[in-house]
Amino acid sequence: MDYLISGFIGAFKLLLSGDAETYSAVITTIAISSLSIVLSLIAGIPFGFLLGYFNFAGKRQVRAVVDTLLALPTVVVGLLVYAFISRRGPLGELGLLFTILGVALAQTILITPIVVSLTATAVESLDKRLGMTLATLGARGGQLAIATILEARYAVLIAAVTAYGRAISEVGISMMIGGNIKWHTRTITTAIALETGKGEFSMGIALGIILLSLALIANSLLIGLKRRN
Amino acid sequence: MKKTMRVLSVCIMALILAMPMASSAEVLRMATTTSTDNTGLLDYLAPTFKAQTGIELQWVSVGTGKALELGKNCDVDVLLVHAPSAEIKYVTEGYGVDRTQVMFNDFVFIGPKTDPAGIKGMSASEALKTIGMKKGLFASRADKSGTHVAESGLWKTAGLAVPDKEQWYIQTGQGMLNTINIAAERNAYTFTDRGTFIKYEANWKGNPPLVILVEGDKLLRNQYSVILVNPKRCSNVKNELANKFRVWMALPSTQKEIAAFTLMGKQLFIPNAHEK
Amino acid sequence: MADPALLRAEDVEFSYGDQFSLHVPEFIIPERSVIGFVGPNGSGKSTFLRVLAFLVKPHKGSIFFSDDAVSFDNDEITRHVTFLPQDPYLLKRSVFENVAYGLRVRHDHKNLGERVRGVLRQVGLSPDLFAERQWHELSGGEAQRVALASRLILRPKLLILDEPTANVDRESALLIKDAIVLLRREYDTALVIASHDILWLSGVAERIDKMVQGRIAGYVSENVLPGPWSRKSGELWSRMLPDGQVVRATAPPSENASALLSPRDIILSLKDPEGLSARNALRGHVTAIAMEETRESLTVTATVSNLSLHCRLTVQAVRELGILPGSSVFVIFKATSLRWNERDSS
Repeated sequence: MDYLISGFIGAFKLLLSGDAETYSAVITTIAISSLSIVLSLIAGIPFGFLLGYFNFAGKRQVRAVVDTLLALPTVVVGLLVYAFISRRGPLGELGLLFTILGVALAQTILITPIVVSLTATAVESLDKRLGMTLATLGARGGQLAIATILEARYAVLIAAVTAYGRAISEVGISMMIGGNIKWHTRTITTAIALETGKGEFSMGIALGIILLSLALIANSLLIGLKRRN
Repeated sequence: MKKTMRVLSVCIMALILAMPMASSAEVLRMATTTSTDNTGLLDYLAPTFKAQTGIELQWVSVGTGKALELGKNCDVDVLLVHAPSAEIKYVTEGYGVDRTQVMFNDFVFIGPKTDPAGIKGMSASEALKTIGMKKGLFASRADKSGTHVAESGLWKTAGLAVPDKEQWYIQTGQGMLNTINIAAERNAYTFTDRGTFIKYEANWKGNPPLVILVEGDKLLRNQYSVILVNPKRCSNVKNELANKFRVWMALPSTQKEIAAFTLMGKQLFIPNAHEK
Repeated sequence: MADPALLRAEDVEFSYGDQFSLHVPEFIIPERSVIGFVGPNGSGKSTFLRVLAFLVKPHKGSIFFSDDAVSFDNDEITRHVTFLPQDPYLLKRSVFENVAYGLRVRHDHKNLGERVRGVLRQVGLSPDLFAERQWHELSGGEAQRVALASRLILRPKLLILDEPTANVDRESALLIKDAIVLLRREYDTALVIASHDILWLSGVAERIDKMVQGRIAGYVSENVLPGPWSRKSGELWSRMLPDGQVVRATAPPSENASALLSPRDIILSLKDPEGLSARNALRGHVTAIAMEETRESLTVTATVSNLSLHCRLTVQAVRELGILPGSSVFVIFKATSLRWNERDSS
């Protein structure tokens, strides 16, 4: 029990003293997850919009696939992406393995289904009168799509925050694709795994506290948005 | 709202652009085992290496099996591993070249202070025979790491099959420290490198539930070697940088530095680059 | 009368499953006209209005706008028509952005701020107080007025309104009515207004059409008899006309209430029927006889003192009476046929 307490004390010492290793992991985490959230929004919002807005044959099946992908295990994504971006893989020439970009791309695969599914649901649950209102005010084609997404913006932001939460907290992909390289691809979660493996509980707990704070910030944002919606 | 979004996106872009710039120096990528990373040896050596050669060493620490696999896939330039039999096979098969031994540390058998099977002070082979006979609980990493490969080899040297299906043989599939913790929880014996055990001991402020029972046997020597990934198979690897690292590790000055590295006041690695 | 048609619907059909279908052989909206539209809920009225607004494509039939056949994806023509539903939706933006939206999608940014402020004033919303309010900070009547303002700013050639005053407070209803009348006067906008407020419709519309079970049941113009009313005896009230004749009625909600009288509830006679006191028989003369669109009945307009009353008769009945414009007639209807407008009760 006392190692836990000394862990907490050590954690606050690390945080307050501005330990460079700790903050490097924090910045890497934020950089990777920010990059992956931007990419997943760019890919996921249009797809989610199409899925929620239009009715087409096979729509239910596509939804079922997307909803299944919500449960993608991180290690499966990690393994698949590794197979592709390893030097011996088809995309090996790009040199993405053990880079921030590589981890971000793999995380994008992980979290895009979240963005797609939640965006589609958001668009589907928009007021039935919206389309007619936009049409009668003179919106056409792309203007309709943009205004529809804007109407769903709070729900889409909720999707983004949810996806971000998944990105910052996953460890499988960061470990397999990033390689946990100190000062480069070591994220909060891989650092926790490493420090715990080394028996450095205070460092692990310090990083855990930061991760929880990030999740807390994301979630308070989410609660605020839900209220506005 | 719009303003904050703009500020936010600018911050993210700046962050993303700044990350790769930080690593503009020549980078050598190495796959190594958890023991060299967890003990802090590489954190201790890498700055000196950079100061003397201008090369930045980045490493991924995984089990020896995974490290060899990364080399096979051309994902790293150089390996620092400790599984001599697997390494020799690896070089024979053409995946690696210029294998150079650089240092060793040693393995120990640890177990509960009560020593239920009574192996204290035995040789490695005797100890394993006794554990097998008395069906003493034994935790194995079972993860193809260098430590696991060494352990498997010892069962064979003792004339026994690896007790893969025995109830008393606990296969954790995890890292060394986790495996030690599992052994402690189950009151089991286990096989570990000395460095990890010193760390473990320190976490318990010198009074751990598991203690060293078998040590000093010649068979327990844990040899580390540097292997270059074969540039003929992997055209992308930085063979020149990798070779610089190999040569540097064997330099008398580096060897002296390895000898001077201590953990909790105890020397961990014994340099032996010039031993034949 | 000779105004060219702004919009002409021909042979429009729309069906919902098997139970109900809308069928309108011909419907014309003359330029600058105001057309009232009445009918019970579920009569197909709202669907037909959406067809006229190019929001719902009919299953059959064609619509011509200024003599051009309209395909429903033709932006330029359909943008001249805009529709205000009974329960309008506001975009999740500020009042200003809601009103400006239609101009923004037309890339018409000239004097945008001033134009938005102008229409807000027209619907009785102070721009200083309301322009920056968010969509969720409005009462029902205010929201309805913002929705109307976002249509007024487009200066459409045709504005279609479905029950614009149904769910709003009295003050908003008055402001909405004023704004609609102003639009027509200033910009020559043609209007189609569906409303249960027949009194108001009778005041602004040149024609009132009724839809029943998906069919336009023809021209109906409700007669309006304004107050003041005075109590005569018991439940019987009366109104003295300038020429001394008396209209008898049941108890009105207030002295100055207006009564509505359906043209179907009136009969004409050449002789004074001399009957029950609860029946009105007023002396007047015929001023006009008009054929209805359905060609089954005639609308006869008779003037009694200062009132002009429309009554609906079959061709056969008119022929038998032998009346012509100028003929003297008795206009006969029951006191209980006068209906009171609920809105006048307060």
